[in-house]
Amino acid sequence: MADTTGSLLVRKRSRWWNAEARLAYILLAPAVIVLVAFMFYPIIYVFLMSFFDTSKLGQLRAFVGFKNYRGLFATSDFWVITIRSIAWTAIGVVSKTLFGLIIALLLNVEYKGRKFSRLLFIIPWASAVPISAMLWEWVYNPEFGLLSHTLKMVGLWKHPPIWLGEPISAFFACMWVDIWIGIPFMALVFLAGMQSIPAERYESAYIDGVNSWQKFFYITLPGISELLMIATLLSSLWTFNDFNVIYILTKGGPGGSTDILITSVYKNGFEWLKFNTASVMAVVTFIILAIVSIVYARIYFRRESS
Amino acid sequence: MNWRNRGKPLVIILTILLLLLILFPFFVMLSTMLKSGKEVYTSPPNWIPRKFVFSNFITVWKEYDLFGYFVSSFIIAIGATVFNTLLSVPAAYAVSRLRFPGRKLILYMFLVIQMFSPVIVVISLFKIIARIHLLDTYISLIITDTVFTLAFTTWMMNGYFKSIPIDIEEAALIDGCTRTQTITKIMLPIAVPGLVTTMIYTFIYAWNEFLFALSFIQSKPKMPLTIGLYNFVGRWSTQWQYLTMSAFYAIIPVLVLFYLIEKRLVAGLAGGAVKE
Repeated sequence: MADTTGSLLVRKRSRWWNAEARLAYILLAPAVIVLVAFMFYPIIYVFLMSFFDTSKLGQLRAFVGFKNYRGLFATSDFWVITIRSIAWTAIGVVSKTLFGLIIALLLNVEYKGRKFSRLLFIIPWASAVPISAMLWEWVYNPEFGLLSHTLKMVGLWKHPPIWLGEPISAFFACMWVDIWIGIPFMALVFLAGMQSIPAERYESAYIDGVNSWQKFFYITLPGISELLMIATLLSSLWTFNDFNVIYILTKGGPGGSTDILITSVYKNGFEWLKFNTASVMAVVTFIILAIVSIVYARIYFRRESS
Repeated sequence: MNWRNRGKPLVIILTILLLLLILFPFFVMLSTMLKSGKEVYTSPPNWIPRKFVFSNFITVWKEYDLFGYFVSSFIIAIGATVFNTLLSVPAAYAVSRLRFPGRKLILYMFLVIQMFSPVIVVISLFKIIARIHLLDTYISLIITDTVFTLAFTTWMMNGYFKSIPIDIEEAALIDGCTRTQTITKIMLPIAVPGLVTTMIYTFIYAWNEFLFALSFIQSKPKMPLTIGLYNFVGRWSTQWQYLTMSAFYAIIPVLVLFYLIEKRLVAGLAGGAVKE
């Protein structure tokens, strides 16, 4: 990619190289300084904290090596939360992908009002996540909420659970809100991908007399495979990172049954002032996120340069 | 495409069913925001209010300090948008048009750090913000919201600048324009659609931001909408008719803005293949 970008001054006279590089550094400096001060330094500090004994105010007291790590890894809570985070991400991404595919397929059919349905399907992504989560809290209200009432009325579920009050239903209630927010992005990406598949491919398939399923599996799906990859990677990062939904709906409760790594980091740090635990968890989270991000970046670069 | 025609009624029925599912909480919002305080806490609840209390549209502004929250959200979102633009446009110009050692590394870094979670750094950021005496200020949120949108906006602007033919700029340089003039007089006007997209993106991010506001803002007059409303939730006696009404007001501006950039946003996130 770097090679295709022309360079004005270099093309004219190569001795301007230094002047050009200097200008680049000057232009980049403000952004880089802000990023270093408010992103890289805090990350480094979290790494440091994870290797130190810290006071209740978060001050570093003594270097303890991997003691914090060993301490945390020895608790079953940590593993439960880690496994739950992975399950949360897996269930979330798979559901978002399936819903996204179905909606994209539906939106790819031409009918009057298609553009309008597209606009409506986007709303969960377009509206503010914290506000949506608050709305859902009211929707889930066991006594006055319209969800339980409607399920009973329609006869779909005679005795719905106290959504946010019981461990298993709380997990799935939060899960659904996260899925619900993530569906539109998936649908839009897949729809864009489907619309870029040349119509001739479908036409020749029509002449060959293939059925809809074959069309989907032999033309549509391969046509969007790379996008599917990028979208699921992005979605897994967002799902794994979803602090707002869980924190607003349950704060990780009841009894820690909806805590994932990201909410646990915050609660350990800000509510219980357990900075050792919080920083180790943050480091673990960081490493997981960094690995997935790098995979995303590599694929992104590859498709851009191709 | 035969099956499309045959399947149309089925497609429409499925679409309607899915829309009912997806829009469910917004139907609940529309239903609740027009109820009286008494009817909100009636069991079983009604979908259609027995009495439509249209005055809720007005009273909510008196019941909650909605205006104050709106002002805070606006200041933070506008501040972050301006700050972000000031930092991202020069940076994007440098990576898209200039050649220098470390360019690829910087591009790569911008792409990777898009995904970093604010939660990872919020503990140490809190200490930093406290040390420079910015706790409970708009500036703390303007800075942090800028930092966490900067990578993405720079990346997007880089893409827009790159799509402008280099000859245009070269001709201007030969005609005696300075580098700054080529940026402000030639590049930026052409890149306006891209610039608008990144600005709206930052605005929406800051408008919706929750974690930093929750951690850094303590006094009520400085609270943005997200935190202001959050403080009303969770009590048994939450006046949900006002809360849903506030949600309605809070969602409308971002909804409108989001529709303006939605296609470019998808293209930017998913990489080159999705065309606007």
